[in-house]
Amino acid sequence: MGLKEFVTRRIIQIVVLYFAIATMLFFLFRAAPGDPLAAYIGTGFTEEQAAQIRATFGLDQPLHVQYWKYMTSLVTFNFGLSYITGDPVWGIIQDRIWNTLVLMGTSVVLAYLIGVPFGAYLAWNRGTKRERFGVVFALISRSAPVFWTGLLGIWIFSFKLGWLPAGSMSQPGVTYSSKLAQFTSPSFLRHLILPALVQAFYFYSLPALLMRNSMLEVMNEDFVDFAELKGISDFAVMLKHAARNALLPIVTAFAVAAGFAVGGSVVLETVFAWPGLGREMVRAVIANDYPVAQATFLILAGLVLIANFLADLAYGYLDPRITYD
Amino acid sequence: MTLLEVNDLHVTYAGDPDVEAVRGVSFTLEEGETLGIVGESGCGKTTLAQAIMGALPDNGRITGGEIIFDGQDITHLSNRERREIRWERMSMISQSAMNSLDPVYRVKDQIKEAIQEHRDVSDAKSYERARELMELVGLDPDRVEDYPHQLSGGMRQRVIIAMSLALDPDLIIADEPTTALDVIIQEQILYRIKELQRELGNSMVMVTHDISVVAETCDSMVVMYGGELMESGNVDEIFNNAHHPYTLGLQNAFPSVEGEKRDLTSIPGSPPDLSEPLEGCPFASRCPFAAPECEETVPVQEPVDGHRVRCHEPVPFEQIRDRSGEDETWLSQNKV
Ligand SMILES: Nc1ncnc2c1ncn2[C@@H]1O[C@H](COP(=O)(O)OP(=O)(O)OP(=O)(O)O)[C@@H](O)[C@H]1O
Ligand SMILES: [Mg+2]
Repeated sequence: MGLKEFVTRRIIQIVVLYFAIATMLFFLFRAAPGDPLAAYIGTGFTEEQAAQIRATFGLDQPLHVQYWKYMTSLVTFNFGLSYITGDPVWGIIQDRIWNTLVLMGTSVVLAYLIGVPFGAYLAWNRGTKRERFGVVFALISRSAPVFWTGLLGIWIFSFKLGWLPAGSMSQPGVTYSSKLAQFTSPSFLRHLILPALVQAFYFYSLPALLMRNSMLEVMNEDFVDFAELKGISDFAVMLKHAARNALLPIVTAFAVAAGFAVGGSVVLETVFAWPGLGREMVRAVIANDYPVAQATFLILAGLVLIANFLADLAYGYLDPRITYD
Repeated sequence: MTLLEVNDLHVTYAGDPDVEAVRGVSFTLEEGETLGIVGESGCGKTTLAQAIMGALPDNGRITGGEIIFDGQDITHLSNRERREIRWERMSMISQSAMNSLDPVYRVKDQIKEAIQEHRDVSDAKSYERARELMELVGLDPDRVEDYPHQLSGGMRQRVIIAMSLALDPDLIIADEPTTALDVIIQEQILYRIKELQRELGNSMVMVTHDISVVAETCDSMVVMYGGELMESGNVDEIFNNAHHPYTLGLQNAFPSVEGEKRDLTSIPGSPPDLSEPLEGCPFASRCPFAAPECEETVPVQEPVDGHRVRCHEPVPFEQIRDRSGEDETWLSQNKV
């Protein structure tokens, strides 16, 4: 089986999985307690008015009709209107999704750029004090919750030192012609630094510890000894042979990291008042804003699936032994 | 001219307890000749080979003696100086050659790496050289494009041999280059190694546990036991006129190559614990001829009949030779 067939098959799998997740979400939300329109329908409304509002949101229809409309919305992106603001859900998401992707993308990339070489360094220094100290440090950063390191970061770098803004994505009142213009503005980058670093400080330990283990394993392989035998310098042996091979399982872990990133965005965006999908999801769930909550869940699940797919492709590219069958 | 001279070499692995894996081995290798190192598993052959290559495991140290290569004492060179000699002047076909290729690079890139690490050669030139080497070891040159997992075990072995020839070194150390292969491929590869060595004129150290391989491929030989040298000298001399009970036992343990097939008589018992200090002859506990003095004092290496033997000669050598041809001599050991 060739690469093309593999990709096709994986895409079909992803689509099926996506619809399964969507179905689960649909029933989970219907099973949740409370009237979704409680916030909308005030006490002063007559029965008739209330029914009309229900009809506007399609909640008067039988469950299977609602389900069908919901499932078609997955394809048309017509997720309906927010129960709270009445705005189209897709518009809300489109605005937030880029904010989340940029923040989480930056922190995951930072985490890998720092974590992988750090792990390789630890393995190379196996049995030394430096290694033990490094492992303990990684474990500590893995154990420190983001809401705590986030607040600590804000306290130090914003309040004490005044170097960086404490939250949000841009100065109030400033508007940009496009998302791209905003993301490339110096003010945005200043806002990005602290949350991205805080999240990376949490994420880097996973690739670091995995890389260390993986390196230690590969360093026992005969081909590493043989490379040394050939007279290749120690550093080149570590880089070209040991690290290159040790990287393979790390790529798989990237899919896991992407899952964590999506989950992590909820906390991080809340701490830093970052207008992303995670924060939107929290808001929507608390406010019983079903259409928005459902859609954010769906989009986040979709992101995890896509990250998995990319990790699979990267693995196949990096390991010549992988055949697609 | 003498290419390699090893004098009273000692190698110790640090650990709990320390293991002294090579305990005073000496030999010389002439230019263009092949020396066989033979002995049972665990007797320190690979350790000796790695010490010569300057590629001991991290916990291994040369604790005594000297290695002189082409007139230069290389025993205590720095890592860096050793690395320059390695592969350029002496290469090694390692015992685990089958797993010695990096799975993520193509064969051509791995051969290229060996060449370009030592010499300023263009990509195109080293690619040409890679193809040439493949042909030399009897492989289709187009296979340089393959990844290691696309090659059979025997092919991988040949690739390693090709790589060992890449820089035309003065010395090639082959550490059991064929143990993982089936008998027919073993024969082919040994034959090819030998042929190439004759063609190219390199010197060679052939490490093996199979004494018949030594008979086929070597000019001189060293018999090792428990990290020590038991008998050494010219191959013909030792095959026709072995003195040491262990050498004779090994000759019995492997079917002889020429002449009639003998029964396989393996030597009962197992090699000594190398973490223990030496008292007496290491082979004494398994030797059918051992006398009390064999257990008590360490024998020294002495010249006997044109080669060197390390044995107390508890009974006259003629008797040892005659009696070691009979299976009962060895089997009676089991009853003790
Ligand atoms: N890195 C190491 N640390 C500690 N001891 C070691 C190490 N490598 C080898 N040894 C020990 O040194 C002794 C000699 O090992 P060596 O590999 O040289 O034997 P060998 O003759 O090559 O055996 P084989 O025929 O099985 O390859 C053995 O007792 C082995 O357990
Ligand atoms: Mg060995």
